[in-house]
Amino acid sequence: MSYALVVAEVRRGVFEERNLDAIGLCALMEKDISLLVTDNNNEMNQNPPSSPFGKEGLGGFSGEKLVNTIIKVKIEEALFLNPLNMVGVVKTMMDSKGKPDVIVFTHSSSGTELASYVAGYFDLPLITDVNGFDKERDVFFKSYYSDKIFGEFRKAAQGPFVITVRSGSFKEYAVEKTTPPVIETIEDFPIAEGRNFMEYVEEEKAEIDITKAEFLLSVGRGIGNKDEIPDYEKLADLLKATLSGSRPVIDKMWLPKARQVGTSGKTVKPKVYLAMGISGAFQHIAGMKDSDCIIAVNKDPEAPIFQYAHFGIIADIHKVRDKLLEVLKG
Amino acid sequence: MNLIVFTKRVPATQEEELRITGEGKAVDLSKVPFKVNDWDNYSVEEAVRIVEKTGGAVTAVSIGDAESDEVLRRAIAMGAKDGFLIETGDVLHDPGARATLIQNFLKKESVPFDAIFTGVQSEDDQFGAVGGILAAKLGLPFVSMVISIDAFESDHVIARRELEGGLQERVKVILPCVISIQTGINEPRYVSIMGVRKASKVERKVFKAADYQENMVSKIEAVKWVYPPKKGGATILSGELEGACKELLGILKEKGVYQ
Repeated sequence: MSYALVVAEVRRGVFEERNLDAIGLCALMEKDISLLVTDNNNEMNQNPPSSPFGKEGLGGFSGEKLVNTIIKVKIEEALFLNPLNMVGVVKTMMDSKGKPDVIVFTHSSSGTELASYVAGYFDLPLITDVNGFDKERDVFFKSYYSDKIFGEFRKAAQGPFVITVRSGSFKEYAVEKTTPPVIETIEDFPIAEGRNFMEYVEEEKAEIDITKAEFLLSVGRGIGNKDEIPDYEKLADLLKATLSGSRPVIDKMWLPKARQVGTSGKTVKPKVYLAMGISGAFQHIAGMKDSDCIIAVNKDPEAPIFQYAHFGIIADIHKVRDKLLEVLKG
Repeated sequence: MNLIVFTKRVPATQEEELRITGEGKAVDLSKVPFKVNDWDNYSVEEAVRIVEKTGGAVTAVSIGDAESDEVLRRAIAMGAKDGFLIETGDVLHDPGARATLIQNFLKKESVPFDAIFTGVQSEDDQFGAVGGILAAKLGLPFVSMVISIDAFESDHVIARRELEGGLQERVKVILPCVISIQTGINEPRYVSIMGVRKASKVERKVFKAADYQENMVSKIEAVKWVYPPKKGGATILSGELEGACKELLGILKEKGVYQ
């Protein structure tokens, strides 16, 4: 039977919201959808959740109905999200159910890790970070060159192919089916020894919580070097804003990790988000797009962030900073 | 430890205006400056640091045209012992084809290694997939989004992977394996022009990609290049800088975050 396989990401018992984008793309492709999900009700789990969608569920949202089949995998989540085991799970599933048309993962830390390993193992075509689909022309869109260009890609080989889906791209296409899903179970597959989960490590508690701030002044790669930071601190002080940053600034250790906005840092929703020198990689956008008011300052008029901002100034950020300091002091 | 680390020369497109040519056939990069892929810079640094502790050698490998020699010289200046260029004028969009080329190369040239390092992704194509595909093809364990290597022992690695929202997971991975490095894992050393010049004296080996094409077929097709769809877009505060800044302060007052 022709079907799409969605590999769900359940992390610490929570069904991640980005799975809905993977389900949504399959719905847009008009596929019969099978959801492969770790079965947290197994006896190895200490806190069995009531639904296969995790302890938290989906905030009253009955996600089960979005798919035709739920394939519960009798395995702990940390083993399930290990690429070495995933190939065994997929193989066992394909042996019993037949090959899917497409295998869809989330474009997340674990999703890309799993997808690339599965594609390599089964020698399948792979398109990652898909953010659009044109059904008529059968092409998938993925971003290139700092999100300034989209490539249209198509698979060029027979048989199944693998996709990872950018979070926030297809959620709205996930719709409830009229009939409840068929529940299937798989077990008995090899557990690999080459890689083992040891523990989760939480971020250290910091003195500041940027998610509580009403006004964030956020700086990015465009600030150029560390010596510029004190003047932005000064500006933040005068504006009574909290200073935060995008990934490149945190990577270079110009600001502490606790001040990072983005998927690997914090998701923020302040009243005002003032972004200076941030071009707007999607991992950053995902962490701030729900702010009430977004103001972007960047010298590059093509910077993707201007597509998400409510207001923008196209100028050298240091000049804007200095002018603001001058006006505020004057 | 013998470590292989891949490094790529990529266009620095952050602040460049890009133009699509030939009705979507190509993207004009002729005026764009090139640089080492950010992820690879961290990856080279990490490999060099490990070898400085354990002994052994780092071999830097790049796939690309003759210009890619630049990133090999850079890697050598950072501490790599050898630089191998797998030369090709073709742009390989398919990460599967790229991984097959690497697999063929490693086998044919019998390059010994305890671990292979790659960056999580390259800045230009943002696929983030070569490391994983290569590991699976070689039948080796794989770990990606590595933000810390806590221990590098004779037979295993303890690594921390970056997940979302500040969470990490610690894993033990058996050697040999493939490790994909995330940015921010270390502070890459400064590379001076003098350093690169000195590195030029170390011979780099050039191999022809054409010699490693077995089973190398592109399983995906790049159909066309397009500009991202425009959303609503921002209201641009234009005119004199002072006027724009005052307008900005007005918005902050209106939103109630600044008095």
